[in-house]
This record gives sequence, C-alpha cells and structure tokens, in this order.
Amino acid sequence: MAKMKPEELIQGLNYNPPSTPWMDLKADTSPGNWAYPGKPDIVSYLKDEGLPVANPREWVPSDEDWKLPPNWQDIIHQGFRERLDKYRSLKVFMDICVRCGACADKCHYFIGSGDPKNMPVLRAELMRSIYRKDFTLAGKIMSKLTGSRVMTEDVLKEWFIYFYQCTECRRCSLFCPYGIDTAEVTMMARELMHLVGLNINWIMEPVANCNRTGNHLGIQPQAFKDIMDFMVDDIEEVTGVRVKAPLNEPGHEILFITPSGDAFADPGIFTFMGYLILFHYLDLDYTWSTYASEGGNFGLFTSSETMKKLNAKMYAEANRLGCKWILGGECGHMWRVINQYMDTMNGDIQGPQMTTPVNPITGTVFKNAAATKMVHIAEFTADLIKHGKLKFDKSRNDHRRITFHDSCNPARAMGLLDEPREVIKACCNHFYEMPSNTIREMTYCCAGGSGLNTDEIMDIRLRGGMPRGKALAHVQEKHDVNTLSCVCAIDRATLIPLADYWAPGVEISGVHELVGNALILEGEQERTMDLRQEPLKGFEDEV
Amino acid sequence: MDFTERLTQDRDRLVDRWAELILETYPPETQQVWRKQKDRFANPVGAAITDSARELFDVFLQWDDGERVAKALDQLVRIRTVQNFKPSQALCFVYLLKKVLRETYMKELGQCGELEALMSLETRIDTMGLIALDLYTQAREKIFQMRVNEVKRAQHNLLRRARMIVDSPATGADER
Repeated sequence: MAKMKPEELIQGLNYNPPSTPWMDLKADTSPGNWAYPGKPDIVSYLKDEGLPVANPREWVPSDEDWKLPPNWQDIIHQGFRERLDKYRSLKVFMDICVRCGACADKCHYFIGSGDPKNMPVLRAELMRSIYRKDFTLAGKIMSKLTGSRVMTEDVLKEWFIYFYQCTECRRCSLFCPYGIDTAEVTMMARELMHLVGLNINWIMEPVANCNRTGNHLGIQPQAFKDIMDFMVDDIEEVTGVRVKAPLNEPGHEILFITPSGDAFADPGIFTFMGYLILFHYLDLDYTWSTYASEGGNFGLFTSSETMKKLNAKMYAEANRLGCKWILGGECGHMWRVINQYMDTMNGDIQGPQMTTPVNPITGTVFKNAAATKMVHIAEFTADLIKHGKLKFDKSRNDHRRITFHDSCNPARAMGLLDEPREVIKACCNHFYEMPSNTIREMTYCCAGGSGLNTDEIMDIRLRGGMPRGKALAHVQEKHDVNTLSCVCAIDRATLIPLADYWAPGVEISGVHELVGNALILEGEQERTMDLRQEPLKGFEDEV
Repeated sequence: MDFTERLTQDRDRLVDRWAELILETYPPETQQVWRKQKDRFANPVGAAITDSARELFDVFLQWDDGERVAKALDQLVRIRTVQNFKPSQALCFVYLLKKVLRETYMKELGQCGELEALMSLETRIDTMGLIALDLYTQAREKIFQMRVNEVKRAQHNLLRRARMIVDSPATGADER
C-alpha cells in the first residue's frame, strides 16, 4: 500500500453536509420521514360525505409515483387562488414576511433536527416561493431574483414532508414582529394538498370515525357506557364511593365534553376518573354524552369545512339535551377550535336555551365564555378553589414531584396559563417550574400535535420533543421531579415516549387526576392507593 | 513535557475546535443560527455539543473509567440517534477528535519522529467510537420498543374492557 501523506489522512475525515442551496435540495421521502397516507376506503367515505378530500388510492410516499391527478398543478393553483381571495390573512402572511429570522430558531422541530427547512421562515417559504411565481408580477418575471419557483412534483413532495413536520403549535408566531400565524400557513398548505389527495391516515381515520360515531376511536355508545362503568368501579375500589355518571340525560344544566383519548388510554383514564370524582363531589347538574364524546377536532388539521362539521356536534348535542352551557375537559387543540373559530363557524346553531355560563357552586359568571358558552375545566376548578369550595388532602399526591407542561393551544390560543397551576398547587405539595423560556406562552410543543402523534414517525417526534425533554431533564436533575402534568389528551399520549427518551423515570399525568387523588369525598374510605391503584406514600406495604 | 501533558495544556483550544467540527456536520444555515444562540434551553443541541466536547476530552485524557466514558458520550449520541443522520454520520463526531489532533500535531510529531505518541492515543478514540456504537444501538432498540409500547397502550383498555369498538367506516382498519 502506498504511503499516505498526513494531509490525505485528514481529508478522509470529512463529514460535512453538502452546501446545496435549499431550493435545489430535494426532500428526503424515505420511510420514517412521513406518516402513513390515508387508507383509500376512509378517504372515499369522507369524499362521499361531501368533505373536501380527493383522489382516494393506495400510494406510498417513498415511491417515485405519488399517483397524482394529471391536472394536479391546476388544482393546486386554483385552490391557492380561491384561498387568497377568501382569507385576507393568507395574502398578508404571504406578502409581509421580511425574513428577519426572529422565528428561525423558535420551532421545536428545527431546534431538535437542525434541518433548515424546519425553520418556520423557510417552511413558509416553501409555499411563498410558489405564491410569488404564480400570483405576483415581479415573481412571474424575475424568478430566482425574487425567490420564486415553479410548482413541480418535487416541490409538492417537499410540502408533504415539511407541512407534516409542523404541529401548528404557534410558538414561532409569538416571536414574529408581524404576528404571522405560521399555523395558518400550514393549515392552508394541508388544505391544498387534500385537494390532490395527499393526506395522512392518523388524521383521516379519526376524522372519519368522529364523523360517524362522534369520537376518534369509533367507540359506540354502548362501549362508551361500558368503559365509564369500569371507571366507576375502579373509583369505588380506591375511594369506597360509587360516583354518579350521568350519560345522555336530557334536562341538565351542563353538558361535559372531553377528548375520547381519556376514555381508553393510559394515563388519560385517570384524568377521566378525576372528572367523575369532582362532579360527584359537587353534585353537579350535568351529563356526559356518547354522541358529543370527543372534544378533539382533527378537522382543524384537515380543512375548515371538516373542522366546522365536526365541531357542530357540540352545540347540536347541547340543544338536543337542553343544556345551558358546555364544560370542556383537558384538551389542547379542542380549545383552539373553540376559542378562535367556534363562534364564527357554528355560533348560529347555538340553541335559544344556551346562556352565558355561571358556576352553579360559586356564582361566578364566565364572561369570557359569553360567545361560545364553553368553559375550560381548569378555569372552573380554579374558580372553585378560589372560593374555598374544595377540600383536599394534598398528602395523597406526595409521591409525586410535579412540573407542568403548558399545552400549546390552551397556552397560546386562549391564555390559560395560571389556572392549571393554581389547581396543581392547591392539591399537591411538590410543584416545580421548568425554565422560564420553555413554559407559559413560550412553551415547547410535545411534537405530537396536529395529528402527528403516530408511531411510524417516532424519530421525528423525539427530535421535535427534544427541547421539551431537555427542560424536563433539567428539573428532574435539579428537583427530582418525577411527574410531568398537562392539560391535553394528546400530551398524555405523546409525552410518554418523550419523557422515556429524554428524561427516563418521569411519568405523565393530567391535572384532574391529581384533583381526583386529593379531593376528600363524603363517606370515603381511608385511601391507601391513588387512582392508578399504586400505593400512596406511607402505604407502600399495604397495596 | 509528554504528549498528554501537552494536550492538557492545549485543552481549551482543542475542545473549541472539536466542538466547531461537530457543529459543521449540520447544514450551513443551521450552524449560523446555533452559533449565535447561547441559551441552553433555546439551543439544546448547541449546548450539548459544547458540554460533550469538554467532558469527553477530559475522559479521553484521563481514560480510567469506562462507565464515565459512556456517560459522557450518552447525551450527544442520544441526540444524534434521532436526528436525520445515517448511523455513520451520527457517530462521526467521535472521530472528528482525530481530525483535531492530526491537524494540530501530526506534522510536527512526524518531523521529530514521535508520531507513536499520537497513534497510541488514537486507539482511545477508536474505543470511544465502539462505546458510542453500543449506546446508539441501545437507543435505537429503545425507540423500537417505545413504538410497540405505544400501540399496546393505545389499544389496551379498549381490548381489555370494551371489546366492542366499531371498525372504521370500512373494513381492514387494522391491517397494514
């Protein structure tokens, strides 16, 4: 073998990525970079239901041929034009960005991946470059100079890869000097992709199920009842009290709606039990519904038409049961839909029996909910606590050292920042905050929102979840935190692997699970275990 | 002065250079942003690169505790395992230390016939690479396990309690 010079040995150690300009760098469509596409029968069903989806077919994103309709470019162009005419906001968002870079390092996917196309400015640029080419005079004439480009299949593939790496969490929008709502850019891109049949099953299937049975899992009324009965049994086992669980009962003041995720999956079911315990304690005049059995609305991640249709069941059910107002459970994106779109979309179907919500126990008028008639459970419980209406034994949560993850939508889309904290502090002795630039308005996303909480993109979720995970690991190290609490059903599912990877040993809980543990019920037995049927501190040998 | 002492003396300069080379494994636009952002919670990867380069360099010099080496490697390996890298790219950061040492000392040591000092230390870098491979594999296995657990967790209560979910609008919802 010829003798190598030292310089040559060094040359062999070059791992730098190629410096290809982003516009010329094709998106990586290999498996692991995309969630599974919608199944043809599900897409067909939704199409038959009149929702704006198209082109049901078997297709695989790693294949060269995505089986697009022959005139897909026209469809996208036309759809883009319609939306620019319909939404002034979209036109403003397309025009106004000065590429100042304030958002560049604020996205959890960028922070975790280091992929420049995950910088919010560049992700939106994937769409703006087409906008300039198709809809601005300068862009039509001077292509490269204005950063415009022609819509090709490669560009469309890039859209599919990167607009499904945005959880619509809106952290970047918080830092944008113009207030550009990047989530709405993503929403528009996804709407356009639906027109040519690009979608993901993790969103399509819950939408189809929700449209048909009222919840994401397709749980039918009798199964829902069965699940609730099991929970009532479990609560009795832990507390000795058989709680009331009114279901589909007309004539009550309040309708309670929460994500169905909490009805079937650990650890959401313990939050579900917490609600049952709280309402029993209050002897609340309320009912659950098997039809409005889903607070979540994956229509938000699909199209405005779908979101509107799925949302309408909330008022429809309140009207059918004659309820005056709706109390909503711990959910994330449900509250963005309610707080920002519900009144505009479906305010006109609110029945005449509906009134501005008043807390029947404290008399507090929830003026903030005058338009939608919907109150968040954390506001409701915090109000009860403020008026001294709840008796807690905080020591029943002493086995938990807790921090709180602000879910993106309640925090940024409705400003629900202090209420959950007040509730946690009232029923737990050990509470510690994560670093200030990772919580409240600046909270980091769980990386599973906007329909991306599916296992085939676990790597994407884990790198997107890194900023949250690192902040969590910090309080785990500093304060021995062992519980990450949250007010979102998707969080309760997606934070489990996130914590397991970045801060092993931290468990996930809902806020009302903690309430359920601490609340002292009339006639209860001595509690030796929590709702998970794990021993309380001091009872380790008895359970 | 023996070679190890010299490395100790040059520590800061070498660590900075190593961290810089690790940063350069990311795209240019990303390097630009990550260089500026010094807050560790706003830029966890940047912080991990700086911290890990320092810690690893120290264990590389001391070389007395395998567990410590693994612990120092874990943070960066864990991060790069889930980033969009091939396995070889994910772990290349270890070998970039070779590049640092060669570009700093190789010519000089070669001229005075003392290359052996460098070569014997490079064996440690090779060993670090192998430990990193173990950690990488563990992390991958953990991810696969988490995927399985997630599916089980999501279905668990339905299967145990209800056994009566309706299939999605069409048949075959669970087939893939």
